[in-house]
Amino acid sequence: MPDWARQVRARLSGLHLSPTREAEIVNELSQHLDDRYQELMAGGASADEAARLALSDFRSGNVLGQYMAPLRQSNSSPSRTPGAPTGRVLSDLWQDLRFAMRSFLRAPRFSIPALIALTLGIGATSAIFSVVRGVMLKRLPYRDPERLVAIWEGRLDRGLARNVIADANFVAWRERQKSFDFLGMVGQSRQNIVINDQPEETRGFRASADSLSAIGTQPQLGRLHTPEEDFEGNDRVILISHEFWQTRLGGRTDVLGLSLISNNRPRSVIGVMPPGFTIEGLPTNYLIPYGWTVERLRQAVGRGSSHAMARLRDGVSFEQALDDMQTIMAQLRAEAPQRNTNWSVSLVPIYEQTVEQIRPALYVLSGAVLLVLLIACVNVANLLLARSTVRQRELSLRTALGATRGRLLRQMITESVLLSMTGGAAGLLLAVLFHRGLIRLVTGNVPVPRLDQVALDTPVVLFTLLLSLVTGLIFGVVPAVFATGAANDALREGGRHGSGPRAKRVLSTLVVAEIALSLVLLAGAGLLIRSFIALQNVDTGMRTDGVLTARVTLSGQRYTSERSPGDFFTDVVSRLTAIPGVESASAVSVLPMAGPGIGTSFYRLDRPVPEPGQAPGAAVKPVAPDFFKTMGIAQLAGRDFTASDTLDSPRVAIVSDTLVRQEYPGEDPIGKRLNVAIGRAESGMNVEIAGVVSDIRMVSPADAINPAVYVPHTQLQSGVMTLVIRTSLDPISLTSSVGAAVRAVDSSLPIADVATMDGVVDATLARPRIVSTLLTVFALIALVLAGVGVYGVMAYSVAQRTHEIGVRMALGASTQSVFRLMLGGALRLVIIGVFTGVIAAAWLSRFLTTMLFQTERFDLMTFAATAVVLAIVATCASCVPARRGMKVAPMTALRAE
Amino acid sequence: MTGINTRVLDRELKKGSAELLILSLLNARMRHGYELSKLIHTRSGGQLMFHIDSLYPLLYRLEERGWIKGTWVEKPGERRRRFYKVTAEGRRVLAEQRKTWAAFVEAMRRVTGGENA
Repeated sequence: MPDWARQVRARLSGLHLSPTREAEIVNELSQHLDDRYQELMAGGASADEAARLALSDFRSGNVLGQYMAPLRQSNSSPSRTPGAPTGRVLSDLWQDLRFAMRSFLRAPRFSIPALIALTLGIGATSAIFSVVRGVMLKRLPYRDPERLVAIWEGRLDRGLARNVIADANFVAWRERQKSFDFLGMVGQSRQNIVINDQPEETRGFRASADSLSAIGTQPQLGRLHTPEEDFEGNDRVILISHEFWQTRLGGRTDVLGLSLISNNRPRSVIGVMPPGFTIEGLPTNYLIPYGWTVERLRQAVGRGSSHAMARLRDGVSFEQALDDMQTIMAQLRAEAPQRNTNWSVSLVPIYEQTVEQIRPALYVLSGAVLLVLLIACVNVANLLLARSTVRQRELSLRTALGATRGRLLRQMITESVLLSMTGGAAGLLLAVLFHRGLIRLVTGNVPVPRLDQVALDTPVVLFTLLLSLVTGLIFGVVPAVFATGAANDALREGGRHGSGPRAKRVLSTLVVAEIALSLVLLAGAGLLIRSFIALQNVDTGMRTDGVLTARVTLSGQRYTSERSPGDFFTDVVSRLTAIPGVESASAVSVLPMAGPGIGTSFYRLDRPVPEPGQAPGAAVKPVAPDFFKTMGIAQLAGRDFTASDTLDSPRVAIVSDTLVRQEYPGEDPIGKRLNVAIGRAESGMNVEIAGVVSDIRMVSPADAINPAVYVPHTQLQSGVMTLVIRTSLDPISLTSSVGAAVRAVDSSLPIADVATMDGVVDATLARPRIVSTLLTVFALIALVLAGVGVYGVMAYSVAQRTHEIGVRMALGASTQSVFRLMLGGALRLVIIGVFTGVIAAAWLSRFLTTMLFQTERFDLMTFAATAVVLAIVATCASCVPARRGMKVAPMTALRAE
Repeated sequence: MTGINTRVLDRELKKGSAELLILSLLNARMRHGYELSKLIHTRSGGQLMFHIDSLYPLLYRLEERGWIKGTWVEKPGERRRRFYKVTAEGRRVLAEQRKTWAAFVEAMRRVTGGENA
């Protein structure tokens, strides 16, 4: 019988048929020819004749080929060996991508944990990077910001590094300095500004014309104020921020020349600052001149509430300027020892001034997210490595079919980059959520400079993509090199899946690294949490529950000429006491925990006057009667202030326990007399001690306890006081009654910053709370990732050793011994990881030192607890696969061969 | 032996009348290629004859169009063969082509054979 198939195949050779299709056609046509042949034979033809006649059905000139050619099946694309080079880079890449996508979809147990790890790592990193960029990396919006400096005074012996400056010194600096083009003064201010007939307490800055020239930012509309307008009488002008213009004034076009009532005085709007304008990172609704006279500046006794800003003259270096200012300060110490002994001057570059507060927190958070990212990478590298070992047969097969090592390497790196880019895209989505949460967490709680500049903008997106790419390359290369290097051996091993000792060692190292890194984060979070708990448990010395607080800022001339602030607040407090549900009410100049109050020096009048700069310091607070009762501060001796302590009665004071122990050890302080450097007179104020109260923390729970002197608000009057009201009701429910009581005395006055005292204390803890919360979140992510990583590697290792387990069990090993064997290997890694982690954490904890309160950086309990938690999690994670190993049935395992 | 010139048949193949032939024959029941060629030869009284090199490309073309479908069928005692059957789409096409063909034949008859009728 002739070879029909050969005859048919010869006629199909010019076509691009797929091998299977060609086989089918050959088969079908051969049958046809055979049928014909058999029929002819049956009809009596000889074999040769039958074969010739059957084949004559094929006409000359390959008609079959011609008729087949237009068909689709004749034009199928050539078959490919996955991984075999085709010589075309782009199509190879596309092929790699499609192949990678398919292989990920086929192995969700690998790709889902890997994607989650990457999403978390990249998402957290992008969100934190957006903050770092907005707050620290973006250039400050000032002209030549590197030439701009803030100038402060300091008293290092009292721990005051950045203190507000003495007005009189400022005048002297201006007259003597040779280093600056402009030297001006700025200070925070609160004004009651009437908007739509409603007075509103509004925050802004006083700024002298020279400070604005130093900053060098031009207004968006109108002009800056001139040096002439700095002076009293010419100062009824106001510059407003773009934001204030848009939100409070509705962006009205006739804003220039508009008259705003500010603290009961009209001020004309002369300009609008550009959007996002800040003073040293702090948003400001307005800028107003000081309205000073040089005489008043020169004669001012204490230190006001401002610091200086200056622009370095061309050719003058920062160090030269500092030198110049220190020389002047030395002269001033000699000329006015009373004011300047022990005081020094410091220059701070404006960038430093803007970010120095927030920087430690941002560093710690950046470090934390990078650790999370690193853990995610290690995790994915682990998974990839484990997977590539499983895939060795596939890789070997492809090598055998003609794929080069470079080609496989590229294939595997494409896979990891695809994975990381997908993770990056998902991470970006997560970053959006994370970013929103972060902004919500921070806004209104912690002053973050330039928070409005923080955005997930193009550079952040680019950063994320680059990060993903680099991540993919880093965690992809190592497993890829291992996998492709081993590819040639896998087939030779007769199909048993095995990984070499080298891969196993890398895998173990990665697990150890992962555990160690997680431990670092956990320990850091643990330290911060412990520190935060310590902060929360600090006894402030006050009973803060059931107290409402609200600030009142008296405005305008009325309270210096018509009536005194003292009378006003006495009146208001008596009305507050009459509100039903109020147990007691009082007022204080600066509420404890709400910011720095007055700090000054004092001395015993029954002792010689101390040398200049040698007098002890104390916080001074003017308060109304019943302040101690309302705030739950214990009266230890003597009496409280009463209504009979007035401007005309003898000056009295109540001092704190610490002051008594420091100045009157073993003596009865009641009736003794002190000089306090405060008030209008250069000689200060002489007071008689009328009572002693227990200590309180003045600015924050983290403060040391310092001596305090309380004076009657009638004898040291303040235009800004905070009302405090103790009630048995819900404090906030009294808000409208308190507002009404104030308006009953002066209808033009608003109340501001209404809050419970608990809330005020809580607000001082906002920054540590946010930082420890974020670090805890990152640490938990790290813990989960570490758990997943250990689980993955253990599961893989158990799967690898199924055969071995089967043999052991067939030879009589008990399930318990198998479990111990499996777990033993894991525990060794856990112990090494925990040990390494503790060492690394102990070393890295140095970066937390500034953020810790009453907590040692080597806090034993934190480290021990962290190590235990991590060991438990890692052990649990390895128990699950180990148990699975225990359940291996010997026959199944052996049959799998 | 061949009554109609193969070149003429080839031309008809291209015009589509050959398709009508195949669809009609397969409409009754499924058949394999050799059976089809025999059937066409005998039913046309030896007038029509498909060569192997035009029959199969035609079948494959119809299959690609989705009008017929071939499947390998194994019957007891026989060898495995590829049988073709008409699809739903093929039946629709067949009905249409029959109508067109009838109209064409009628028109041709009227013009060319009118006097003889």
